[in-house]
Amino acid sequence: MNTKLKVSEISKIYPGCIANDKVSLEFGSGKIYALLGENGAGKSTLVKILSGVVKPDEGEVFLNDESIKLNSPLDAKKNNIGMVFQHFNLFETLSVFENLSIDSNKKDEELRALVNDILKKYNFKIDLDIPVLNLSAGQKQKVEIIRCLIRNPKVLIMDEPTSVLTEQETDDLFISLKQFSKDGILIIYITHKLKEVLSLCDEVAVMRKGKVVSVSNTIDEKIESLANKMVGENLNTIKKKINNFKKSEEILKISNLNFTSDDPYETNLNNLNLSLKKGECLGIAGISGNGQNELFQILSGEIITEGTSIMFRNKEIGKLNPKERREYLMAFSPEDRISQAAVPELKIYENVALNNFKSSNFFEKGLVNEKKIKEHSKKILSNFSVNTDNVELKSQFLSGGNLQKLIIGRELITSPELLVCFNPTWGLDVGAINYIHETLIQINEQGKSSILISTDNDELLKLSDRICVIYKGKLSKIMNADTVSAEKLGILMGGGSID
Amino acid sequence: MSFDLNFIGILIGAIMASSVPLILAASGELITERSGVLNLGVEGMMIIGAISGFALMVVTDNLFFAVVGSMLSGLIISLIFGLLTQSLLTNHVATGLALTIFGIGMSAMIGKNFVGIPGKEFPLLFVNLKESIPFLGPVFFGHSIILYFAFGLPFLTNYFLKKTKTGLIIRAVGDSPTSASNQGINVTLVRYSCILYGGAMCGLAGAYLSLIYTPQWIENMTGGRGWIALALVVFATWSPIKVLIGALIFGGITILQLHMQAAGLRIPVQLLSALPYIMTIIVLVVISRDSRKIKLNTPTSLGQIFYKEK
Repeated sequence: MNTKLKVSEISKIYPGCIANDKVSLEFGSGKIYALLGENGAGKSTLVKILSGVVKPDEGEVFLNDESIKLNSPLDAKKNNIGMVFQHFNLFETLSVFENLSIDSNKKDEELRALVNDILKKYNFKIDLDIPVLNLSAGQKQKVEIIRCLIRNPKVLIMDEPTSVLTEQETDDLFISLKQFSKDGILIIYITHKLKEVLSLCDEVAVMRKGKVVSVSNTIDEKIESLANKMVGENLNTIKKKINNFKKSEEILKISNLNFTSDDPYETNLNNLNLSLKKGECLGIAGISGNGQNELFQILSGEIITEGTSIMFRNKEIGKLNPKERREYLMAFSPEDRISQAAVPELKIYENVALNNFKSSNFFEKGLVNEKKIKEHSKKILSNFSVNTDNVELKSQFLSGGNLQKLIIGRELITSPELLVCFNPTWGLDVGAINYIHETLIQINEQGKSSILISTDNDELLKLSDRICVIYKGKLSKIMNADTVSAEKLGILMGGGSID
Repeated sequence: MSFDLNFIGILIGAIMASSVPLILAASGELITERSGVLNLGVEGMMIIGAISGFALMVVTDNLFFAVVGSMLSGLIISLIFGLLTQSLLTNHVATGLALTIFGIGMSAMIGKNFVGIPGKEFPLLFVNLKESIPFLGPVFFGHSIILYFAFGLPFLTNYFLKKTKTGLIIRAVGDSPTSASNQGINVTLVRYSCILYGGAMCGLAGAYLSLIYTPQWIENMTGGRGWIALALVVFATWSPIKVLIGALIFGGITILQLHMQAAGLRIPVQLLSALPYIMTIIVLVVISRDSRKIKLNTPTSLGQIFYKEK
């Protein structure tokens, strides 16, 4: 079974933005194709066109040299084009089987047999009769994939599939995708993660600002070359000077801190000890779910502890709430941009106002001082190169990168002494990651301290002065970053010991 | 007052009759809400059903036309709601409230000429069985066909939602209209159909009041039953069988407290009148306290406006 898919001169224009500008690409079965680009480069629009969700303004799609019309998702299904969206299209309250049967014409028994065959063939383990809301993100994705496989797809499109997966789930997914490819399914893999392109795909097309800028074999590419094509300029590889902090003053000290949670899904923290000097970046590595969330909340004041256990600039702050801690010049950037750090339905300046300091005079006699907040917000937007100057824009319309810049900017514009950030570049594209990294290095150079809790080891090694690993709620020994390698971190993260 | 067995049977029969409009309206609204549409116009659709049923009965002298006509008028008035919320994307809550106000005003206007006209006797089934069997007779027999339909409806609705493909599609749309649309389901069509069905059932509930329960036209005769039906759907956590239980409790306590008032019990009348509301809520909260089941039954997209990306 040979499948050829060709898009020819596809254009799609939204008000104020050309999402796809005469995009032409060719794909053939037996290979895995990467469609690479930054957020907003036009990948998702192209994919929506191929799956019939969005109609192109111009251009045609050919399947095996025949022009096909994709006016609705049904048309894509009829043409055996399967699609797994980044945001799952599942019905959370329905069972797995109901989710699968909803668009199938088969009888229940036939369908169940077919699904069981697929489960067996690809070694998926999913209970068909539990509601989808009880599944993990990886399992939900498998349900989406099974839904496509039921229809014997010729083409399978995966939109940013790993953004919600753990490392183990990602490995499993790659094994499955390679298997599908062997079975003759043409796979188009949309991503902005360069490593994934190199380890999974055969060919890569790079998109930038709605246009295809390059098509090449992945063998001929390296991470740097792809990154440069994606961003369209040569990225400076930033490096941090390693400093000696022996003489500098201690700013934060945590001693013998314990945290026991009532919630069985939270991790207990045992006997935490750490100290941080002025101008230093302390990296905390670990596989997610080992207590990072709890540690962040203890630092930010979302979890209150004993007063004496946390000392910040020689003051006991353990009992203070986040707002009071901010008054002491601490700043926080939580992991979840959309639900913790910002309110997506609110406008930019309203989100800025949420971070209200006494000194900033955002509120007077119980009234909102809109003018002041807007001026302050404009300053953040321009100082931190957020891609808009409209403070009235709802935050949900910012891309992940721009939202993160806004959040970090909101925290930093008051020049705090300590910034605690948790996975600050999670899900961002190369350009935005680079910018955030530069900013974090900059604040250390200005003599401010930072704590970087991250699951990205490359990021930690690049930015930290000292590093430790959190495993099952315990911190490892704190090591100087120049003595640590990725392998060493890996061993500690898995619960092993070194020396 | 003699509490003989036959009297209790008659009492139960009366309770069943009084809960019929609630069951019909709530079952209809349940389907509407399961598709993610919150139609607060139940009261308005019921009263339109009540006046059009009665008016048609007077004009055509045919009860069949009256019943079918009341359903049609409920359907037409819910079509207004559908056009506004599904095609013009107006807010569900505001539109529903407007529909109720509109319905009450409109029915009063049409009804002006029908005040004081006596109703027609509605045929009751198995009347001879009702009189010949003590206790069970008055419970099960001597009712109108609409009552039997109403008591079957929650079970049919339950089966329909859980076992049929169409029911599955309605639940899917209520869960996530965007996902459903991406699966090629015509969300707008599904939601329109559910709104129209809900309207027809509310119309029928109104006709039951004006043709059978109290066969005459009185302005505002639904007396807030539409609101009770709405509350029943929510407190029954969108489960048709629990709607039936809730409607029976409400009807039951309404009738019982009337008897208690008549018997001259030394309890304030206001408290007795409030009793049906309080008890129904307590019982439904108690039987629906499983938070996992609530989560699975609740239409996640309830009240959300859906529009398709172009």
